[in-house]
Amino acid sequence: MKFNIKVWRQAGPNAKGGFKSYAVDGILPEMSLLEMLDVLNEQLTKQGEEPVAFDSDCREGICGTCGLVVNGMAHGSRLKCTTCELRMRHFEDGATVTIEPFRAKSFPIIKDLVVDRSAFDRIIAAGGYISVNAGSAPDANAVLVPKDIAEKAMDSAACIGCGACVAACPNASASLFVSAKITQFALLPQGQAERERRALRMVEQMDKEGFGNCSNHAECEAACPKGISIGNIATMRREYMRAAARYEERAEAAGAG
Amino acid sequence: MSKPCFVKSTIGRKVIAAISGIALMLFIVVHLGGNLTMLVPDNGATFNAYAHKLHSLGPLLWVARAGLLIFFLGHVITAIGVRLDEKRARPVGYAITASKGGPSKQTWSSRSMLITGLIILLFVPFHIWMFTLNQGADHARIVQHGVEMKDVYLSVVRGFSNPVKAWAYVAVMALLGFHLRHGFWSAFQSLGALSPKCAPVAYTAGLIFALLMAVGFLILPLYILYFGPDPETLRVAMN
Amino acid sequence: MIKVAEEPILNANIPDGPIETKWKTHKANIKLVSPANKRKYTVIVVGTGLAGGSAAASLGELGYNVLNFCIQDTPRRAHSVAAQGGINAAKNYQNDGDSVWRLFYDTVKGGDFRAREANVYRLAEMSANIIDQCAAQGVPFAREYGGTLANRSFGGAQVSRTFYARGQTGQQLLLGCYSSLMRQVDAGRVKLFPRREMLDLVVVDGRARGIVCRNLVTGAIESYAADAVLLATGGYSTVFFLSTNAVNCNVTAAWRCHKRGAFFANPCYTQIHPTCIPLAGASQSKLTLMSESLRNDGRVWVPKNKGDKRPPSQIPEDERDYFLERLYPAFGNLVPRDIASRAAKRMCDTGYGVGNTGYAVYLDFSDAIQRLGRDVVRERYGNLFDMYHEITNESPYETPMRIYPAPHYTMGGLWVDYNLMSTIPGLHVLGEANFSDHGANRLGASALMQGLADGYFVIPYTLGHYLADSGVLKNKVTTDHPAFKEAAAAAAEQTKRLVGARGKKTVREFHWELGRIMWDHVGMSRNAKGLEGAIRDIRALREDFWKNVSVGGSDGDFNKNLEFAGRVADFMELGELMAIDALHRNESCGGHFREEYQTPEGEAMRDDKNFCYVGAWQWSGNASEPVLHKEDLEFDYVHLAQRSYK
Repeated sequence: MKFNIKVWRQAGPNAKGGFKSYAVDGILPEMSLLEMLDVLNEQLTKQGEEPVAFDSDCREGICGTCGLVVNGMAHGSRLKCTTCELRMRHFEDGATVTIEPFRAKSFPIIKDLVVDRSAFDRIIAAGGYISVNAGSAPDANAVLVPKDIAEKAMDSAACIGCGACVAACPNASASLFVSAKITQFALLPQGQAERERRALRMVEQMDKEGFGNCSNHAECEAACPKGISIGNIATMRREYMRAAARYEERAEAAGAG
Repeated sequence: MSKPCFVKSTIGRKVIAAISGIALMLFIVVHLGGNLTMLVPDNGATFNAYAHKLHSLGPLLWVARAGLLIFFLGHVITAIGVRLDEKRARPVGYAITASKGGPSKQTWSSRSMLITGLIILLFVPFHIWMFTLNQGADHARIVQHGVEMKDVYLSVVRGFSNPVKAWAYVAVMALLGFHLRHGFWSAFQSLGALSPKCAPVAYTAGLIFALLMAVGFLILPLYILYFGPDPETLRVAMN
Repeated sequence: MIKVAEEPILNANIPDGPIETKWKTHKANIKLVSPANKRKYTVIVVGTGLAGGSAAASLGELGYNVLNFCIQDTPRRAHSVAAQGGINAAKNYQNDGDSVWRLFYDTVKGGDFRAREANVYRLAEMSANIIDQCAAQGVPFAREYGGTLANRSFGGAQVSRTFYARGQTGQQLLLGCYSSLMRQVDAGRVKLFPRREMLDLVVVDGRARGIVCRNLVTGAIESYAADAVLLATGGYSTVFFLSTNAVNCNVTAAWRCHKRGAFFANPCYTQIHPTCIPLAGASQSKLTLMSESLRNDGRVWVPKNKGDKRPPSQIPEDERDYFLERLYPAFGNLVPRDIASRAAKRMCDTGYGVGNTGYAVYLDFSDAIQRLGRDVVRERYGNLFDMYHEITNESPYETPMRIYPAPHYTMGGLWVDYNLMSTIPGLHVLGEANFSDHGANRLGASALMQGLADGYFVIPYTLGHYLADSGVLKNKVTTDHPAFKEAAAAAAEQTKRLVGARGKKTVREFHWELGRIMWDHVGMSRNAKGLEGAIRDIRALREDFWKNVSVGGSDGDFNKNLEFAGRVADFMELGELMAIDALHRNESCGGHFREEYQTPEGEAMRDDKNFCYVGAWQWSGNASEPVLHKEDLEFDYVHLAQRSYK
């Protein structure tokens, strides 16, 4: 197969970027989009040109490293699919494939298609955890978790942190990412102690990072390689309202701030 | 940690937009109910009586109007704020954007909430001027069942006999329909009221609600324009 | 001829006493750092996978200053994330007779008697605590209706001791560990350094005192000083180019430590996973693993006629060779990983392979579909079938899957003692990067267990002992020390040299060629002639690499080619060591199979008389002349026996 690849090139965070077109040939239908970029990069390296910078690691859809906007869609047109799993047979032979980085103010471009998603780490650091030091855990069966609750928590926990939700959202909102973590812990008995604090702090950090607001387009759910539901966002809002109403008294009663 | 300010948070602002949106939806349901009394073939007697009843509420009417204004402004201000955030959150846009379909609820309606909203915002003062502040040059009044009252019916008939105005109303009401198509379900989602199971129900209900409202409102100008009484002869015949 | 050290210098520091109480006694005897003093120590942790992340989080919880480095853009992406199956623990929740002893026994036997008993026993002891810890962190393990934890039997174990979270156990455990880590970041006790590649270990007065790394975004060579260095940088399967590992997995950090004096143990012990989706073309970047559970219902076969190119549906039943069932009637399609893998390779090497490349065998579900019905098969394997379909565009419901083995895990790694300390004092090695617990072959669902045991429950004790015992606190070192300057200059020089290389071949081409040599001769089946040839070929390729490689770009910004070039340069040296180790080990054991040493039935034949030791290699300054040190292994509890799966 042959393709015309129109790809975003940007030398550095502050450099001016633009599209460049390249022709690639000899692409097999079973190759992934990233393998096609590998072929392009080999070609560019041989020509003494700089290869197109992009992030990837596991190449089986679980690490969340890769993420490109392909023909206007985060991770391309397939549902529940990461860029590394997107096979070229889903494109028409000879077509132009437009590849852009994830775009959001909170995901600044490092180079070409590589973006900095450390905002997600800072949101998790703000409260996306259950405070339990190594060694202080009770027996795992001492806290029962009904099967359906465990399954629901797993649905939310499946997030790979790729940022496609932000990239696909017309508002560049991170609500799906943040809500999946808040929901996972709100469901589990282990997460109850820090439930309010977690919701308040994670949302506060999300807002601080400069992500947009959620207008319920649900494009994030379509873009999510793990199919995480916007039901999580509804839960996050409930959790936040609940926390806003309840947090202060409890914290003061406990003598914490 | 200090407690963050609820109304400044993204979620808080969506909650305000949702609550005010639901209040406004309730309002338009009542408004539509009143409007539809115009379809009673009694040359506006029922409608005028309804209008009179509203006007005779006195201070209560002003409380209702103030409340409505607050909801309206709350809705507009938070919505514009949300939109400004969006612009800040993605300063450089994509060359191509497309929806992936599937579970996506991204539609023209969802993408155009600000535009349809702004048009409605511009429409409202005009609407109030047309039917509340300036009821025709002669401030027509009528006596029904021994009570003298404003002849609101006559001014509506006069207004909608003008094809430009009537069709302009139709257009705005269609846009209102689009606004509600996304707004209805979105309001409940913003309040966290929807589990993944009820979300599709609310989404379909939103479509039905939007259709009912839009059709309900735009029936009236069209009816008056094409089937209604001639305003010049309406009251003459009666007198 | 290889050089063997005359004086045995390796001391594993195994505590005295019966195996059941070794760790307990050890914990009671080792030195402690007082709570008030912990904040005065700085510890570098390289890697944020299950081992590194859990170590960094736990040390942060204890109050140490932790500097945590990773090559990924965030700790949550470390390759532990990709483990599918599960994690073993001797909880005996199923009341089926499991115990610490049994897990210990199975692991020693599974490792084909080439692991250190004391370490394995401790690992089995820790296993239960790990599950407690992870459940408390909110890891959504599979549950029964009553809310207790669910288990499954995995990898042929006779008890149900594997805990799992759908097919994403590694991801969930890593996210649990990552959340604890981020909590310490928030508390200010751990400082994260993502997108940093460790390029050298800094040794001052014989102790590991810091690292030199490259900032993968700015290209800057950065130095960090500390009181101890923990290495948790994973395995080296990507030496084969095509493996199930992530494309950025590499040996560089471990290899540079090796070159600074850390012995590299058992490099030839590599594990091949039998059920992977076969190679489709030369541009493929990695191989995708499918869960081993597929072999529970799928039947493996090849055509009886060589080079039979008919589609599988047109090959009649009596022209099919169900070779695993034929060769191993008792276990059939469920023989252990290494045996299944070798049998498949043998069939393909002798011309019976299927698919375009001839390097694949069929895994057929038509019998299972007939017997169980499509719905049951879908329920059991639906996800895997979908994944296979998405990748190959063939539906396993209609046509047999094609599978082929792929490198998956490396049991070898830097040599460590019972305290997880390498031969360089202060340098501790955790997880897949060390060699200690799996011997010559790792059992399914044991890798996650080992990584977390090392990080959560072993290193918090043994590192404290080192810090308190070594007196590093009285002798603080900063990055102004000449050793840092020297290491940073060397790293910068190599980077400069690589980035300036303008040869004819790309880094990827060299890596591909190296992988080819490694797979053909140092892969799942080896012989002396092939290994000798491989050593020669690797040497030649290495020479060619430094003359002919083309890297390009700048060393002052994000440059993927440059990253890969440095890693491939190290693989070129490691590859030779693997071949040397495989050649010297004149026996077959676990993942190391020498064709000359097999039973008449084609089984691995150990030589316990001559090779019951850990082969730890010392860098001599020349990649072709490593020095062998032996740590004799003693089996006082699990008695040496031949594995048999007939």
